[in-house]
Amino acid sequence: MTDTALPTFIAESRELLAEMEVALLECEQGNAGPEAVNAIFRAAHTIKGSSGLFGLDGIVAFTHVVESVLDRVRAAALPMDRALAAILLECRDHIERLVGVVADGKADDGDLIAAGERLLQKLNMHTGGSSASAANTDVVATAAYAAAPGERWHISVMFHTEVLRNGMDPLSFIRYLSTLGEITHLQLNTERLPSPEDFDAEACYLGFEIELASQEGRQRIEGAFEFVREDCTLQIRSKAQAAYEATAGREAETRDARSARDIKSADNRSLRVDGDKLDKLIDLIGELVTAGAATTITARKAGLSELNESTLRLARLVEEVRDQALKLRMVQIGPTFSRFQRVVRDVAREIGKEIRLEIGGAETELDKTLIESITDPLTHLVRNAIDHGIETADVRRARGKGAEGVVRLEAYHDSGSVVIEVADDGGGLKRERILAKAIERGLITDGSSLTDSQVFALIFEPGFSTAEQVTNLSGRGVGMDVVKRNVNALRGTVELDSKEGEGTTVRIRLPLTLAIIDGFLVGVGGSSFVIPLELVEECVELGDEHRSTDGEQRYINLRGAVLPFIRLREMFAIRSTAARRESIVVIRCAGQRFGIVVDELLGELQTVIKPLSRLFSRIRGIGGSTILGTGQLALILDVPSLLDLCLSSSQAPVAPRIALAD
Amino acid sequence: MTIPADNERRHDQNQYLTFVLGRETFALGILSIKEILEYSAPTEIPMMPAFIRGVVNLRGAAVPVVDLSARFGRPSTPVTKKTCVVIIETTVAEESHIIGVVVDAVNEVLEIPDTEIEPAPGFGASIRADFIQGMGKVRGKFVIILDVNRVLCIDEMEMLTQAATGDAVPSAA
Repeated sequence: MTDTALPTFIAESRELLAEMEVALLECEQGNAGPEAVNAIFRAAHTIKGSSGLFGLDGIVAFTHVVESVLDRVRAAALPMDRALAAILLECRDHIERLVGVVADGKADDGDLIAAGERLLQKLNMHTGGSSASAANTDVVATAAYAAAPGERWHISVMFHTEVLRNGMDPLSFIRYLSTLGEITHLQLNTERLPSPEDFDAEACYLGFEIELASQEGRQRIEGAFEFVREDCTLQIRSKAQAAYEATAGREAETRDARSARDIKSADNRSLRVDGDKLDKLIDLIGELVTAGAATTITARKAGLSELNESTLRLARLVEEVRDQALKLRMVQIGPTFSRFQRVVRDVAREIGKEIRLEIGGAETELDKTLIESITDPLTHLVRNAIDHGIETADVRRARGKGAEGVVRLEAYHDSGSVVIEVADDGGGLKRERILAKAIERGLITDGSSLTDSQVFALIFEPGFSTAEQVTNLSGRGVGMDVVKRNVNALRGTVELDSKEGEGTTVRIRLPLTLAIIDGFLVGVGGSSFVIPLELVEECVELGDEHRSTDGEQRYINLRGAVLPFIRLREMFAIRSTAARRESIVVIRCAGQRFGIVVDELLGELQTVIKPLSRLFSRIRGIGGSTILGTGQLALILDVPSLLDLCLSSSQAPVAPRIALAD
Repeated sequence: MTIPADNERRHDQNQYLTFVLGRETFALGILSIKEILEYSAPTEIPMMPAFIRGVVNLRGAAVPVVDLSARFGRPSTPVTKKTCVVIIETTVAEESHIIGVVVDAVNEVLEIPDTEIEPAPGFGASIRADFIQGMGKVRGKFVIILDVNRVLCIDEMEMLTQAATGDAVPSAA
């Protein structure tokens, strides 16, 4: 199919299906009002209507049956109960598959049609025969569609009021049309029908919207109306053209309908924008930020106060533009979370546990690319929580907990990053079992000196799994290390808290955006590095006494607290002699405070993150590069992984393998 | 255009850029070459093997720079006024990468017809045999035509960088 409107149809249908799913899940849990049923009906109705325009008769036939069942629910002729909601969910999935087939441009496949028929039978059995007849007529209609070859035409004819007085019978033209091909759909247009007082029995007020499948050309079809050519307004369009115009119209129409029915608040107006255009804009703003920084430097050198002022004003504006542009990419995490309702429901059923999903912070916004890339790790964590975390109902009752387990997804902003938590109130991690497994796998030799968090960190090691039984869902030991790797690739970190018997919480910390950061520029030898500004607490000078005891004492006394530090020069093996003065940048990251020793403090800057080549994908401690106002490149420190590197190397005697593993 | 595009392409395919590295002359097919830059010190990337000099700013993109001498397992040559960075695009498995290579000097663009190209010798060349695409005869001498996708193979270099970062982790016994 080369239809330009088709992608719009597919995207729209998928959105509607997502809405439908949410509403159906509500119904299934038994806490849905008539609004939910209406939403489901509307979704089915719109999908049916749009598919009809594209001649996707398979979807029309199937959805029609679902729609008529929903119509009965709406009319309170049929109760919406758990069982019905479950079947409707399956039907929804089937529609999604049908739409998927269209999206892939494949022909209808027999298995899918058979599956659809089975589903409809199931639906009919549940709802009692009355919709069966509807299904049957539709099957017949579908067969007729398939039999009628040739192109599809949309004929829109509006007879003038005088047509009857001129001795013409509109019906005869339609009858004649059916000799040219198959009339697949006919709708009466009654919008001109006046009120009864003004009604003139001799006048014609009617129009028809006709869909015709015919091998004849446009001229023959037009010819059918030859005798009334003067007395009607006729439009004949081939189907593809009609579909395109209709979706454009429909979009406006549905929007009108919605506001009229005050379903959505009036200010909920959104625009579909091509993601590439947005990326291009953000790229350009990135360049603008860099160019702006260069201008500021030049202005400062020139020493003209007026120029300085105007560059400052400009910089402020650029900053605002940047923030706004980045907001364009920000989307709420709610819809992503809602998708897990389905995952939880299906998985919990499969393994026979009672589990409820709670969602918090659905309005938390983060970068769209981040949301896309975080879905897989989240799915994994949620499945893990259901499969390993939550106990069976019997065990839960024995432990004095409610039979229904709770998995909680929560998102919130925390000091320049976004935190996503996956928590369960299940059995928690068993320290001894993890240690035993780790020793068995040769990850460690002796675990007695490890803290709980160090022990829990072991489950993120490759090839580690403590599940006693490998289930269909998880437990093959390919899980948590992949989660960690995926999150690290997004410049994020994973932590895990657990209390035996009370549950487990996995916390994913992600940067707000992948495009631009506020940074703090430092120099070591001839190299420049950027530290994400939100991590910097303060800067202090490194006293001489610490410089002389190089290699021995790696901490200072910062106002009474111990502050361990690392030397960037040593970490990165920078070949230059130590500077005359050194400073410590105090960093707070993932709940720890430590210092980074550098030669020079070069101040704050806004920087655009330029990803490094794949060549450097294995590098630790560096997250990307950025172009300074001078055109020079500086490297951006990846502080969490730098910290990991220090922690693991200091644990080396206890856990030698950790130091090597990524 | 009077020359058919197809012909032009064939013509391009036989064109090579020759350059000097140490005392030897090498050649690269010009189709993979994007541009030639004057040498400016790249930003060093810590914990990288010697053949990676660092990254340079190429109109807003961070492009890695490879020291070709070091890649061939020879000592790096000193930077002179003639030192250049040749920006090359490699394509491996439909994924393209932009990489710069440091060379001592670029010479000229030559046409070497296929008939003048000998297969690589099994041994005896100064560099790894799989790096050599062929031996081109130019004015009675041989120049080594490099197989750019092998010399700058991302997967292989990535593995080498991992070895280097692994070593850099202290006390990783």
